[in-house]
Amino acid sequence: MALKQRLLYLSGQSTDPRSPAISQALHEPVRGSIVEIDPTKTGLDYDSVYEAICDGWRVVHFPDQRGSLEGSEVEVFGYQFVLEKMEQFDD
Amino acid sequence: MTSATTAFEASGVSAQNLLNDDQVADFVINGYHIVEPQFPAEFHSQIYSDLEVLPTNPGDEINKAVPNIDEIYEHPAVRGALSSLLGADYSLAAHRHCHRNHPGTRSQVWHQDSLNIPTLDDGHGRVSDHVQSVLVMYYPQDVASNMGPTALIPGSHLFTASGDRNASHGNFRDQIVAVVPAGSVLILHYDIWHAGTANTSDQVRYMVKYLFERESESAEPSWNHDAANDDRIFERLERDDAALIQRSLVGKRNYRRTTMWNNLAGSAGLSYEYRDKWSGEWPKPNV
Repeated sequence: MALKQRLLYLSGQSTDPRSPAISQALHEPVRGSIVEIDPTKTGLDYDSVYEAICDGWRVVHFPDQRGSLEGSEVEVFGYQFVLEKMEQFDD
Repeated sequence: MTSATTAFEASGVSAQNLLNDDQVADFVINGYHIVEPQFPAEFHSQIYSDLEVLPTNPGDEINKAVPNIDEIYEHPAVRGALSSLLGADYSLAAHRHCHRNHPGTRSQVWHQDSLNIPTLDDGHGRVSDHVQSVLVMYYPQDVASNMGPTALIPGSHLFTASGDRNASHGNFRDQIVAVVPAGSVLILHYDIWHAGTANTSDQVRYMVKYLFERESESAEPSWNHDAANDDRIFERLERDDAALIQRSLVGKRNYRRTTMWNNLAGSAGLSYEYRDKWSGEWPKPNV
């Protein structure tokens, strides 16, 4: 067993952690695991970053307060939080 | 109804095949439209069989390798939708492609299709306020959710994506996946954010993609337009949700929706007049 970091990328509608979640990607610390669009799944695991925190996730990166490239030629949807959970995994 | 109908009848498309105001508004808002042209089931299964025996990917020559595919794109229901969105004189681009999504295929990342296609006429770049090009995807077999359906983000055609910055997104809350019956035709604004997804089934999923282009600017609506709908359409363009996005993009989104509609409608465009949207009943207290 080894203590490893699970990563959850969760984008909110705003910088408020209680704002509705727009997208998610979960990275498991298991070699060979993949992260991709899952067409068989509806909805997200958490409705907001706050809901994930209540479930034990810890924020390790907060989105930039300066906005989402407003005025730029390119756009990014949502404000991305990165959360972690440290858990034991079989090596 | 618009007098443009006569121009379409001259091109072989009847008025009954054209879209109506709400269908065009749906496309402006969401960036996609689905057509189910009527063919016998055997027609699609034969195309599937023909694709299965191709020794290599014929690329742009897919229509020569499997000529029956052209009939899909010539069907009046498909031509009517394309005429409504691109004008009666739309053209077929030289670029075509058959996607073979075999069992075990991994998901693509969210992307907008490349602009680096020499066969596109004018190299017009991203067009967030008009419909200059459409992707038209045909599925010759039923597509279940585990067969790698095309996924898209409704409304994303109004924004220019940065692939690098979007790489850390996985599933979007409001993504749409094209779980469709055999023979379905999915018309997409060229700039919509989309992806082929993972095929975890034991069946090959085919998708044949053609591109169509606008050849001239609209002088009037190229669909079944009724000016009596204008106020309601204007409201829809301002209020209808597509995928959830941050509030800072909503104003830009709504402006581009209305501009796109007006570019499509020509002389019948909506006028930007001040409207008091906030009068009415007081909000109810939360109890």
